[in-house]
Amino acid sequence: MPELAVRTEFDYSSEIYKDAYSRINAIVIEGEQEAYSNYLQMAELLPEDKEELTRLAKMENRHKKGFQACGNNLQVNPDMPYAQEFFAGLHGNFQHAFSEGKVVTCLLIQALIIEAFAIAAYNIYIPVADDFARKITEGVVKDEYTHLNYGEEWLKANFATAKEELEQANKENLPLVWKMLNQVQGDAKVLGMEKEALVEDFMISYGEALSNIGFSTREIMRMSSYGLAGV
Amino acid sequence: MFGLIGHLTSLEHAQAVAEDLGYPEYANQGLDFWCSAPPQVVDNFQVKSVTGQVIEGKYVESCFLPEMLTQRRIKAAIRKILNAMALAQKVGLDITALGGFSSIVFEEFNLKQNNQVRNVELDFQRFTTGNTHTAYVICRQVESGAKQLGIDLSQATVAVCGATGDIGSAVCRWLDSKHQVKELLLIARNRQRLENLQEELGRGKIMDLETALPQADIIVWVASMPKGVEIAGEMLKKPCLIVDGGYPKNLDTRVKADGVHILKGGIVEHSLDITWEIMKIVEMDIPSRQMFACFAEAILLEFEGWRTNFSWGRNQISVNKMEAIGEASVKHGFCPLVAL
Repeated sequence: MPELAVRTEFDYSSEIYKDAYSRINAIVIEGEQEAYSNYLQMAELLPEDKEELTRLAKMENRHKKGFQACGNNLQVNPDMPYAQEFFAGLHGNFQHAFSEGKVVTCLLIQALIIEAFAIAAYNIYIPVADDFARKITEGVVKDEYTHLNYGEEWLKANFATAKEELEQANKENLPLVWKMLNQVQGDAKVLGMEKEALVEDFMISYGEALSNIGFSTREIMRMSSYGLAGV
Repeated sequence: MFGLIGHLTSLEHAQAVAEDLGYPEYANQGLDFWCSAPPQVVDNFQVKSVTGQVIEGKYVESCFLPEMLTQRRIKAAIRKILNAMALAQKVGLDITALGGFSSIVFEEFNLKQNNQVRNVELDFQRFTTGNTHTAYVICRQVESGAKQLGIDLSQATVAVCGATGDIGSAVCRWLDSKHQVKELLLIARNRQRLENLQEELGRGKIMDLETALPQADIIVWVASMPKGVEIAGEMLKKPCLIVDGGYPKNLDTRVKADGVHILKGGIVEHSLDITWEIMKIVEMDIPSRQMFACFAEAILLEFEGWRTNFSWGRNQISVNKMEAIGEASVKHGFCPLVAL
């Protein structure tokens, strides 16, 4: 009978692992960089929360440095142009929403979708990471829950006025997440991370956030799986 | 508050239920989709005891499907159960039953080693397999069914298929100590476990299925398999009582012969209606009152304030514990399904 506790051993120094890691590591670094600048931009839209958002932004910057160290540790050069292209869709949507002052959409993209995506990826990565990266990632994932919480709290307090925009922003952005997951599944698999586990973990974190904000189970099931079937 | 972790019986069933409940995103989706689907709390309800006590519960749909076992999607199966347990704990359920295949997956894949699920550290005290109550109910069904068919238990040969499992071994203990049945035929896949059980009981004949069934006055079927098995009705004794306590229930559509009587094993009926929506989808004859005995165990533990993993670990079910949960079962108004 297979036992879950038996860890698959990875050759972290193999070319095939390092090649895949160069893209995954870059995505993580770019994700933290995007998060850093997104929180700083949100601080402009929400001046009353400027201090808190700046604090979150700084945390993301620390995470970025942590993940850069993970790449260095495995002697991998992160493929940053690949990662910037990877985030282009979400980045574009965030910038568009920001230019229109749509704080709800900005929060959904950064504080819910990107944070839930990061939490899912880090949770799935931790059991298969090298020792150095595992310690870094364990520290990061704890922080990310607090960031998800910031978005939840704000949107919960403004649920009545934000609901419609959240549903619309969900429709516009969630399909991008599924595309991103598809794009990365081959590399993720080399690192021991399975797509279906990533999708499930994302839907759990995202669904919990939607639930805390005030959506019903029925709405959550509809929203958190939006566009998944077509992928 | 108590909880029930359940799942649907097949992909086809899951698709139909999703359609019925108005979740088009989940209907018409294949197994891959269900392998990625997260657990959900899909019902909140109250249960009233005949003593007047009222308790509240939640139903957690794990999105596990038996096809995950038959198609060797083991990692997905394991994730479904652990994630459902984490959700149950997160929403504050004090005692939750692991229904259907949930407890089987938990035991078979040794999930007690995986108590950290994301940011939730599972507290196993909050969960029960419900197997003690299931074993008790099956034993009462054997007693009642035998009486209805005029079978004297002290003169009867009883074959227990799945004898070394948690429920099977408990049924053997009860039948041995309470009724001194004439012959106890022990059937299971693992020879070593069979010998251990035989040694514990100090009796019982180890047999294969084909040899045992034609000799049995009563067959207790407690093997759980994702796929059903074929039993030829003509080779069975007449009368023959079969208590189908396996999961899913699939013997009654497969064994057809005059003189062969089948009871749906491990099912109880409550004396009062329960206001739950979700049970309509689990294919009970009277959805407002009937349920798996394992679910009822969580309800009984909550009624009695026994917030502990009453049934846990393999082969720990004693006759004393079966009697204790049985008393609670009667006290709060639950009856085994016994109409032949």
